[in-house]
Amino acid sequence: MSLRTIRWGALVLGLLGVGLTLVFHWQVFFWVPTEASMGIVQRIFYIHVPAAWVGFLAFAIVALCSAVYLWIGEERLDQAARSAAEGGLIFTTIVLTSGPLWGRIAWGTWWTWEPRLTLTLLLWFIYVGYFMVRNATENVEQGKRFAAVVGIVGALNIPLIHVSVLWFRSLHPQPVVARVDGPTLHPDMLTVLLTALAAWTSLFFALFLLRYGTARLEDRVDHLAHAGAVGPGTPNP
Amino acid sequence: MRRYLRQVWAIAEKDLRVELRTRERLVAMGAFVVLTSVLFNYAIDRTAVHPREIAAGLIWMTIVLGGLLGLGRTFELEKEEGAIDGLLAAPLPRDALFLGKVVSNTLIMGVVVAVTLAVIALFFQVQLWGNLVRVGSVLALGTIGFVALGTLFSGISAGTRMGETLLPILLFPLLVPLVVFGVSATSGLLAGFPLSEVGDSLRVMGAFTVIALAAGMGLFRFLVEE
Repeated sequence: MSLRTIRWGALVLGLLGVGLTLVFHWQVFFWVPTEASMGIVQRIFYIHVPAAWVGFLAFAIVALCSAVYLWIGEERLDQAARSAAEGGLIFTTIVLTSGPLWGRIAWGTWWTWEPRLTLTLLLWFIYVGYFMVRNATENVEQGKRFAAVVGIVGALNIPLIHVSVLWFRSLHPQPVVARVDGPTLHPDMLTVLLTALAAWTSLFFALFLLRYGTARLEDRVDHLAHAGAVGPGTPNP
Repeated sequence: MRRYLRQVWAIAEKDLRVELRTRERLVAMGAFVVLTSVLFNYAIDRTAVHPREIAAGLIWMTIVLGGLLGLGRTFELEKEEGAIDGLLAAPLPRDALFLGKVVSNTLIMGVVVAVTLAVIALFFQVQLWGNLVRVGSVLALGTIGFVALGTLFSGISAGTRMGETLLPILLFPLLVPLVVFGVSATSGLLAGFPLSEVGDSLRVMGAFTVIALAAGMGLFRFLVEE
């Protein structure tokens, strides 16, 4: 992908994402019917659930790009992994802030050791570790490989972590969309959920492309600096 | 195969010999687990809960925290004066190097686990004699998984400026399966259940250990690559 394509992609997806975000917020506040048992607070669901989906999607991208990066050593895959990890960190943070807000009303407590909430918290920490490793290495190339290993091992462990946290009895509402007998959600609610999912996904990929483009530019500046064309320390003639 | 095992043992033997001569890590971890148990004694309000009832949790947390102390130093010796280059120049595959480190760490941790069990049984009147073999085998399985993942991540933390302080941040989120099922199996066995009752927990711990070993053997070479 050329930088031009990346920039245009980021712009289009960004506008789409922001537009859809406005639309689904309007739907959430003015259009969708209120859920019968939980009341008004259920509306957090439309922000919370799509953010969780995007957070986990981002992690899959990180793991996949990291694995192929270690395999073939292509620089751009590392940049993609890092960009996805930054997006993933944002969306898991949204999950971790919206979840307790809802839980305070629906469960009567800010935090419970609910499996999916716990899994998201651990995922968030794996992302944090991913960046700490990267920033704490003196050799940049080594930092990239270290981070890739963290991303891969984290992804390999996610299923086991999931099994473990599920083992504590679940308080979390059961899935209402991804079910074998079709969604049990009210059709209007499903519409809002899917709009929100489209909004967050476009926003994620817009951020991803923006970050990826910046990483490519940084890389180019580095190369130029090393080639001696321009350098941070060299005065202009 | 025999050649490979000899290579693994050569690495393990080197580390064990260094450890037996200096006893640095063993003394540090041994003292750590005893002192942690002393602190646990004062940290737990006996009118609310008797330490014996949460013995499994105490054993596991002591092992994890004490183990962290030693695992963080797995590559300490190699960092000095470029010793790692010598080790990497040795004619053996990187996964054998990793496995050798896992073997030596596991044996050292085995001593620490034994000390932990003895100390907690002594301090908190935990009845161990009847099921020492079963509890011991669960802890042995858990130790191998813990050490495998810890050795891999210690290879990462040793290469960073933060060093050992980074290790728990990387390791703890991924240790959750081992702690959840390890504690559940251990407390089941301490309560007198037969081994078949905790089979599910052992299967997850086994899966964790296999994944950790496989990931370490596959990925370790990327940590030491120049």
